[in-house]
Amino acid sequence: MLSRVADNLYWFGRYLHRAENTARLINVNANLMLDLPRRMTLGWGPLIEIVGADSVFRSHYDRASEENVVRFMITDPRNPGSIQSSLYNAREILRTVRDTMPHDAWEKLNDIYFHVQERGEVGAAGPAQRQVFLNEVIDATLLIYSVLNSSMSRDVGYQFLRFGTNLEQADMTTRILDVRATRLGREPSGPDLTPFENIIWMSVLRSLTAYQMYRRHMRSRVSGPGVLRFLLQNRDFPRSVMFCLTSIASSLPTLPESRKTERAIERTRALVRDANIDALLKAHDGVPRLMDEIQIGLGELHEALSEAYFKTS
Amino acid sequence: MAFEWLQYRCEDVYDELFERPGVPRPAARPLLSYLQRLSPKELADRRLAAEIAIKVMGITFTVYSEGKLLDRAWPFDMIPRVISRKEWERTERGLKQRVNALNQFIQDIYGDQKIVKDKVVPPEVLVDSVNFRPQCVGVEPKYGVWAHICGSDLVRDRDGTLYVLEDNLRVPSGVSYMLENRMVIKRVWPELFETSNILPVDDYPAQLYDTLAALSPRSADQPTMVLLTPGIYNSAYFEHAYLAQQMGIELVEGSDLFVGDDDCVYMRTIYGPKRVDVIYRRIDDLFLDPETFRPDSILGVKGLMRAWIRGKVGLANAPGAGVADDKVIYAFVPAMIKYYLDEEPILPNVPSYLCMDPKQRKHVLANLDKLVVKPANESGGYGMMIGPRASKEEREKFRGLIEKNPRNYMAQPTLSLSTGPTITDEGVEPRHLDLRPFILSRGDNTYVTTGGLTRVALVKGSLVVNSSQGGGSKDTWVVDLDEEAEQVQGQGQKT
Repeated sequence: MLSRVADNLYWFGRYLHRAENTARLINVNANLMLDLPRRMTLGWGPLIEIVGADSVFRSHYDRASEENVVRFMITDPRNPGSIQSSLYNAREILRTVRDTMPHDAWEKLNDIYFHVQERGEVGAAGPAQRQVFLNEVIDATLLIYSVLNSSMSRDVGYQFLRFGTNLEQADMTTRILDVRATRLGREPSGPDLTPFENIIWMSVLRSLTAYQMYRRHMRSRVSGPGVLRFLLQNRDFPRSVMFCLTSIASSLPTLPESRKTERAIERTRALVRDANIDALLKAHDGVPRLMDEIQIGLGELHEALSEAYFKTS
Repeated sequence: MAFEWLQYRCEDVYDELFERPGVPRPAARPLLSYLQRLSPKELADRRLAAEIAIKVMGITFTVYSEGKLLDRAWPFDMIPRVISRKEWERTERGLKQRVNALNQFIQDIYGDQKIVKDKVVPPEVLVDSVNFRPQCVGVEPKYGVWAHICGSDLVRDRDGTLYVLEDNLRVPSGVSYMLENRMVIKRVWPELFETSNILPVDDYPAQLYDTLAALSPRSADQPTMVLLTPGIYNSAYFEHAYLAQQMGIELVEGSDLFVGDDDCVYMRTIYGPKRVDVIYRRIDDLFLDPETFRPDSILGVKGLMRAWIRGKVGLANAPGAGVADDKVIYAFVPAMIKYYLDEEPILPNVPSYLCMDPKQRKHVLANLDKLVVKPANESGGYGMMIGPRASKEEREKFRGLIEKNPRNYMAQPTLSLSTGPTITDEGVEPRHLDLRPFILSRGDNTYVTTGGLTRVALVKGSLVVNSSQGGGSKDTWVVDLDEEAEQVQGQGQKT
């Protein structure tokens, strides 16, 4: 397998997954807004924080209104992480590696890419159309995964694609936890606000389609510590950080040995596994600090993969 | 109601399927008798089905428009062009003869230049050829073959003579469309195939693979071969990806390859460097190696020429092969065939006037309104002038160009290209077409595609068949008439 092709497959996985996660994030935030009382000032700003695009956003928009944020996240080509940009990047990549992936994946990606191009502006306009539109995006990405899952050989190329989706997911999960947990730490607390805290934790679960599985696994009501534990450390739920890291670790033996990659993944896994959630929640900035450390670990892992497999010069 | 074929007007030209209105040529008779039973609506339905199939199959070519990269669906006409096997066998012999002579010519030019010393080809033709590569002088590629893959364009004039219009010896493209056209028809109109005994075309990728494999400098069973593409911005990128996939070889870009200290070529893989034995390159000579040619090329591989000259890697086509597809050198191909093979050319050249010759130039300048003027080194139909259709200003512009640089121009009479019935918005109408067969050379063995890519000018009256300029294509059938006749008789007895 060519290094360039491995690199491309990895990024294809990341972009496709980013499009899906972004669509979910917007949908869930819209629902959350409906459930919260006016005096809670969450708004749409946190979405920009989650995807880490504050400076790009601020250079083009004056305030984080619903309209601005939604447009920025769905169609704005200046946002490299918008749904449209992600699909564009995924498509440009797939164009160059078409011979490695089932043809159906190309056709399905074309469908959704052109759909977003044609309908994105309308889709972003009002809450009702928006939900339908975002669900179409989510469905389309699921369809592509399903094509890959059912008809792509599990050769090394497939492993790189999985690296991409898993790293992207671990990244997104920690970002969501980071922003939401930090916010919750800062909001004025009180007995009358506690139910809304729970609503926010529920929305965290929902944006990662984790609500139902949380209930099954944790067998308890939704709470901050429970959510953190589940999304970080659960070994069975595919969007938990631990699951993603384990999944990457399990396919490493099929590739040429890379000590650096193994070390990066082991270190990050240990960090997640050994985190004492209750203590973190009590400590000042405990959660954000852990999330930062995990993010650094994911960054190291990305660097290690690049160095070991993608380097073309 | 069936389509009224008597309304198909083709008296003034040679039509590939009809001898005259209402009278099919023998090879096309079974096909036409089937088509004649269809209504215009049925034809239109099949046309739509083909358009959908082409979109779904993702058969595209790339065009640049307003700074954007567009993937256009491949324009395709559903009515095949039919050639009888007997005619094709003769054409095939002519093509083999021609490519054989061309390869000997290239080897000679980069060697002793006997043909120049024997005054068959004048020296100034070479001196001024932009495709002559001094770096190739003295190189002797395996089997003495330089143009492993050749695409020659054939056209038919009013009297039915099939001429060779040009030979593409650099990076000829179009073969993937020949293969895909056949796939499309099979998919959307299988009934057509029951009408005639059609020879298959799909052996090409395997033949190409063997041709490339024969160039491997190592005697390993399975040489490592790659197709080197300039990337997705190239108009033939679809074809590059398609052929790589069909042959099961790696599709690479320049940055995927490097030349090591041992002068061998390697590709960068996740397992580390892997030695490459043969490169089917689809980028032009001048971009191949920044060390030897254009230093600003980012498409090529530094040191590739060094590796090739030292015999560490096979390159197809060999650098410098383009010296023989210069349109001025073209005029000397019949002479080459006599010189190297001592044979009479089987396929004639279109009569050509070389502007470098004062007498011929005079004739050209006096007849600009009747001739087609072509620059020596352009391809894709660019930079040429069709005299009878050009404006006065255009003709004067070309007069100036010819006088300034006579070596760079040649002229030919305007042929009235043959036509074939083509489905248009106005019904079935004649449209002009040509034919590009592909010839693979590997020493003792030469392979010619069965038929080739028929390109058709979709615009009424147009003679330009290039896809970048409004051209489309047709499936090309070489049909076995003898067996057909037997079949028809057999059926007659049964009923």
